[in-house]
Amino acid sequence: MMTAVIEASGLGKAYRRTWALRDCTLAIPEGRVTGLVGPNGAGKTTLLRLATGQLAPTRGTISVLGEPPAASPAQLARVGFVAQETPVYARMRVADHLRLGAWLNPGWDDELAQRRIGQLGLDPRQRAGSLSGGQRAQLALTLALAKRPELLILDEPVASLDPLARREFLRSLMEAVAEHGTSVVLSSHLVTDLERVCDYLIVLVASRVRTAGEVSALLASHYRLSGPRRDTGTLPAGQDVIEESHTDKQSTLLVRTGEPVHDPAWAVTPVSLEELVIAYMNPANDLPAPRPQLGVAS
Amino acid sequence: MIRLTWLQFRAQALIAAAALAAFGALLAATGPHLASLYAASGITGCHGGTCATAASGFLSKLAATSPYPIMYVLGIGLILAAPAIIGIFWGAPLIARELETRTFALAWAQSITRTRWLAVKLTLTGLAAVAVTEGLSLMYGWWAAPIGQAARLGYSGQPVGMGPFSLPAFDAHGITPLGYAAFAFTLGVTAGVLLRRAVPAMAITLAIFAAVQIAFPLAIRPHLFPAHHTSAALGSYNGTTHVSGSDFAFTVDYLPSQPGAWILSSGAVNAAGQPVSTIPAACAKMPAGGPGMLPCLTSQGTRVAISYQPASRYWAFQATETAIYLALALVLAGYCFWQLNRRTT
Repeated sequence: MMTAVIEASGLGKAYRRTWALRDCTLAIPEGRVTGLVGPNGAGKTTLLRLATGQLAPTRGTISVLGEPPAASPAQLARVGFVAQETPVYARMRVADHLRLGAWLNPGWDDELAQRRIGQLGLDPRQRAGSLSGGQRAQLALTLALAKRPELLILDEPVASLDPLARREFLRSLMEAVAEHGTSVVLSSHLVTDLERVCDYLIVLVASRVRTAGEVSALLASHYRLSGPRRDTGTLPAGQDVIEESHTDKQSTLLVRTGEPVHDPAWAVTPVSLEELVIAYMNPANDLPAPRPQLGVAS
Repeated sequence: MIRLTWLQFRAQALIAAAALAAFGALLAATGPHLASLYAASGITGCHGGTCATAASGFLSKLAATSPYPIMYVLGIGLILAAPAIIGIFWGAPLIARELETRTFALAWAQSITRTRWLAVKLTLTGLAAVAVTEGLSLMYGWWAAPIGQAARLGYSGQPVGMGPFSLPAFDAHGITPLGYAAFAFTLGVTAGVLLRRAVPAMAITLAIFAAVQIAFPLAIRPHLFPAHHTSAALGSYNGTTHVSGSDFAFTVDYLPSQPGAWILSSGAVNAAGQPVSTIPAACAKMPAGGPGMLPCLTSQGTRVAISYQPASRYWAFQATETAIYLALALVLAGYCFWQLNRRTT
């Protein structure tokens, strides 16, 4: 088994009577860039805020790097967090944010912070309130990176950015992460973004993990089959149907299987990550029992 | 965290320091002249009955000398307003602004616990709130000391020179302003934590603080210590006399035998000590406003019964009230810690 950076069990968070996250059990492996994808309202933000200790769970448990989230300054120092709206103090200057980071984080890497600000072309004297959305996100990311966390959690960091700024943000995130070997958990509802950066994927729908695994393993174990109309009950064992659609004469299936599909009746095509995610996100699809989430061949 | 708090609070602190300096300069410019008027009034070295006369003379003169009446009133007004202003502009936005702009998520992602984050913000800003308000009060107390001294000795009937217990004067002197400041500040912070938005929190802070500041002196302060009771012969005090038709009423504003005392209630009583308001038969034929009325009523045993708090209790009242407000502030601060730690943003 891999070590998990985030482990949740029966985790739930209720606001008054409505559950934002309910009975969520998952494990996110160490040393990966994990994409957390799901429709709006799946509980992604709630899960990540529970993982950073910004929220306290109503039910269940969560441990992050083996400790309860935000239990101590030492635990907080090990986890970096960029919140959804990438908030910064509007009236404080860029340089003040770096000073803030240096004051509040024992492991602060000022050289890294200054270098990033320089590379981004941000004026240290500029007030953070006058930065563009992309610059603000970059400043928030710089703060999170320069504290040199073991785990970096980002909640929809690029949702409000234009495509260019989004690409730029993800590129600089990847560079920094590669440099320091940081584990990353990144939520998004845009599969294309995740595809570019993630090597592990979790599809979360209504608090439940619909599928989880290495991106490469997921892609290698899912196929689209099309051929003459056929009852899915006649498929060989080991081929799990994720999605099916039928016309009078034709059947199109998205199947999960560990084995290559040899049946000559099928035209077999690989699936894109986006197709795969959408199939898992679709609540109309009645999923087979999930495969183990951890320990997938790497 | 101390440095971050200062970074965020710097601008407000400078404004407060400037206000404090301006107020101090105004007081310093006029204080010495006020003191010289006092020195020339003959209150120093007076004895017996001359004191009340000298004190009343001094207060009347002051009431007619610009800018003292306006400074006296404005000073009290400023000290009364300071805690409210601090509660509204320092307290309410302290956490609410962070919740509103979601910068709390940035702050809480640093390597510092939420408890420490709040503790430092609350303590530093709260201490500044207390220091500014008490600073105003101490400076004003120095400036107005001659007026306070005279008001204890004599009765002016003027707005300048209210007794030590009189409603706005008590609140602006001594140590109570620091209690008010601590309470108003934590009230603002609590409103901000609960409402999560600065502007509504500011409004609610003002409303609650004003209500407490009106209710406390009226409903609670008089009962902090059991009242003393005494009676006085008609006309042996400063106050009002009201005779109309067959009814009469007396009230006492200032009792020379208890200089500086807080008169809680007063009213005419008969020889048996029962409250009376009807002119007894023996005096019924006297002209209502005539000079014979008071001696006649006196001869019938009519006196004025007074319940009061003696001047010697002034500091006991100050200390008790301040302690109550500080305790409220502590409870509110504790609530903020609890609420933020079980946060359900």
